[in-house]
Amino acid sequence: MSLPSHRPLLRPGTLVIYALLGFFGLLTLMPFFWMICASLKTPADFFSSQFLPPGDGLFGVGWDRLSLAQYVRLFRELPVPRAMLNSIFLASVGSVFATLFCAAGGYALAKFKFPGRELITTLILGTVVLPAALLLSPKFETLFHLHLVDHYLGIFLPAAAPAFGLYLFRQSMVNSVPADIIESARIDGCGEVRIFFTIVLPLIRPMISAYLVIVFIALWNDFITPQIVLQSPELQPLPLVIFELKGLYGAEYSMIMAGTLVSIAPVMFLFLLLQREFISGLTSGAVKG
Amino acid sequence: MRALLKLFSPGLWLVLLMAVASTVLVALLPVRPSRGMQMWVFDANHFKIATTIAAGWNREHPDTPVEVKQVTGAAIQTRMLSAFYSGTPVADLIEVERSMIGQVFAGPVADIGFVDLTERLDREGLRSQINEPSFSPWTSRGHVFGLPHDVHPVMLAYRADLVEAAGIDMSKIETWDDYFRVLRPLMVDLDGDGRPDRYLLNSSPNTLFYHEVLLLQSGGRLFDESNHPTLNQPRNAHIIAQLATWYTGPNQVAAEAPVGGISSLQLIRQGYVIGMLAPDWFAGFIRLSFPDMAGKFKFRPLPAWEKGGRRTSVLGGTMLGITKASRNQEAAWAFAKRLYLSADSAKLLYEVDGIVTPIKANWHLPFFDRPDPFFCNLPMGRMFLQLAPDVPVRPSSPYYVLTQQLLSSVVIRLCQYADEHHTWTAAGLEPEAQRLLDEAQAKVEAQINRNTFLRDAR
Repeated sequence: MSLPSHRPLLRPGTLVIYALLGFFGLLTLMPFFWMICASLKTPADFFSSQFLPPGDGLFGVGWDRLSLAQYVRLFRELPVPRAMLNSIFLASVGSVFATLFCAAGGYALAKFKFPGRELITTLILGTVVLPAALLLSPKFETLFHLHLVDHYLGIFLPAAAPAFGLYLFRQSMVNSVPADIIESARIDGCGEVRIFFTIVLPLIRPMISAYLVIVFIALWNDFITPQIVLQSPELQPLPLVIFELKGLYGAEYSMIMAGTLVSIAPVMFLFLLLQREFISGLTSGAVKG
Repeated sequence: MRALLKLFSPGLWLVLLMAVASTVLVALLPVRPSRGMQMWVFDANHFKIATTIAAGWNREHPDTPVEVKQVTGAAIQTRMLSAFYSGTPVADLIEVERSMIGQVFAGPVADIGFVDLTERLDREGLRSQINEPSFSPWTSRGHVFGLPHDVHPVMLAYRADLVEAAGIDMSKIETWDDYFRVLRPLMVDLDGDGRPDRYLLNSSPNTLFYHEVLLLQSGGRLFDESNHPTLNQPRNAHIIAQLATWYTGPNQVAAEAPVGGISSLQLIRQGYVIGMLAPDWFAGFIRLSFPDMAGKFKFRPLPAWEKGGRRTSVLGGTMLGITKASRNQEAAWAFAKRLYLSADSAKLLYEVDGIVTPIKANWHLPFFDRPDPFFCNLPMGRMFLQLAPDVPVRPSSPYYVLTQQLLSSVVIRLCQYADEHHTWTAAGLEPEAQRLLDEAQAKVEAQINRNTFLRDAR
């Protein structure tokens, strides 16, 4: 009978790696910590210290000079609650539509044979190289002619099936969805819509989560399109409202930091929820031969 | 149900839930329809002023109310140009910043999207009531397309606490040469690394604005009255050769804390730059950015290039234009006058932004004489107004931004040349400055010659 071997919990090499990772992790978090401190400082204290204002309190910090006043002002003086609702609406509905349409389009391009398929795929791939700024003016004029200026649909429609997403899902379908399964389902009498929702989508679940997060963040942070398309103040999302804090002749940086924190918090929460699938979605197919 | 839930991750279900819930809420919350004339402004302070004036106007004119909206500068530019080029919706009144106006003036005069105000201004005798140089950025081919918002005379803002602690008397300074000579002892190496930690002027080769400010002060210019580029005039070469000696070499006296960035605020606070080229709005910027530094800044007229020379320049500018798409141009004009010409708007403009009005009839108002405790009890408004008549003329060319960029590029290359050839005197650098400006002039002219409308107009 042999005794169980006692492996140390952390070998020196692992310890060094963890220490390095911890160090770089802290380094990455430093700007966020700075932002939190900055949002709690008064404008007078903003530049007086790197992080927290000095004082007679614990750790030599002037705790009494920190306050939530900037957050209170943010919600009282600016239409932040409405803007936040608009941002959630635009990002969530837009990302759900974009994911659904890109998955459907990618599926069609990958698994259906129809005339012009290759040409369509090439055209879609070709549009990926066009810079978004180049399309801004034509997009605005098209939306105007469609009567979609100052309308949420003016944001949703151009973002519903981006070329990058279509191509990403096409590749994902080619790699992850075996044709045999689809054929078997058809033989068993399963309809195309059911095949798509019950067989295809679960097979590319990591890609769906990854793409959903990508689009959600892109729409949440989008500044240019809403500022051009959405003209009524009631329709505008958070980035536009926060940007208005920066005036031409100066800015209240404590307020801007408070606003920035309020605007990144929901996205961070969502990313934490979806991070496992986001990473597996991004790496799926990475080791395929 | 469990099978359905397992189909996707919890995060995805959360997003779906958010989509449904936010859709319901957005559908329930009303969107107030736009009412009356629309006005777009690009700055939060301008918005405060315009909404205050509009509230009074709306009470007096319930049939032609004005609704003011704050829109970011980039959005105004895109929406405005789209509207002018292709008839998309646009506000009745738009406040336009100087850097945005060039593209508006790129086509034929008859097709400019703003109402030509020339005749109205003359008919109502307003032109003589407004400081003449303030019209220049909004005038194209002899036609005025906007009411000027400001004068923006430039003074020298300086760190009075540091200067006075060193026992330096600023009152004897008349020229830039005096300024750098007298303040030179302040350029000290505080941390012992062999490099100065203080510079005497906030400017550098990379700046887009300050070269022009100094050129205009000296009598140089980028364009003539008919908006023909004059980048390579000898006076410009002389001045930028001088600037290069400020920016590089053993006699470097200037460095930049670029205004607008958060890092610059820290540099200004630390005293990295002693003096700053400061238009009237810069006083408001200092007050907002450094609320705890009352009594540490003072303003005085710019040192002249030569004894008896001009003691000011100009930086920035805004106008209010009425769009041709406005269905009520007369009411829009009446509101524009109320907003820009009245004494109460002049007071608001000065109190909110520190900006002095271009309306000469309002220059006597007593609040301009009030000592400002933040700036060592200086009568800031009066000081800026005394310089207002001397403010140089600004160009309105569509190629102004390009020319400004080329000027900056010339200064950068000239500094590079100075370092490579160890030539650090203005006289030694002037021939190279002239050569570089000739090159830049040719580039601007080539661009202008591609524009049929401007080429023919010239």
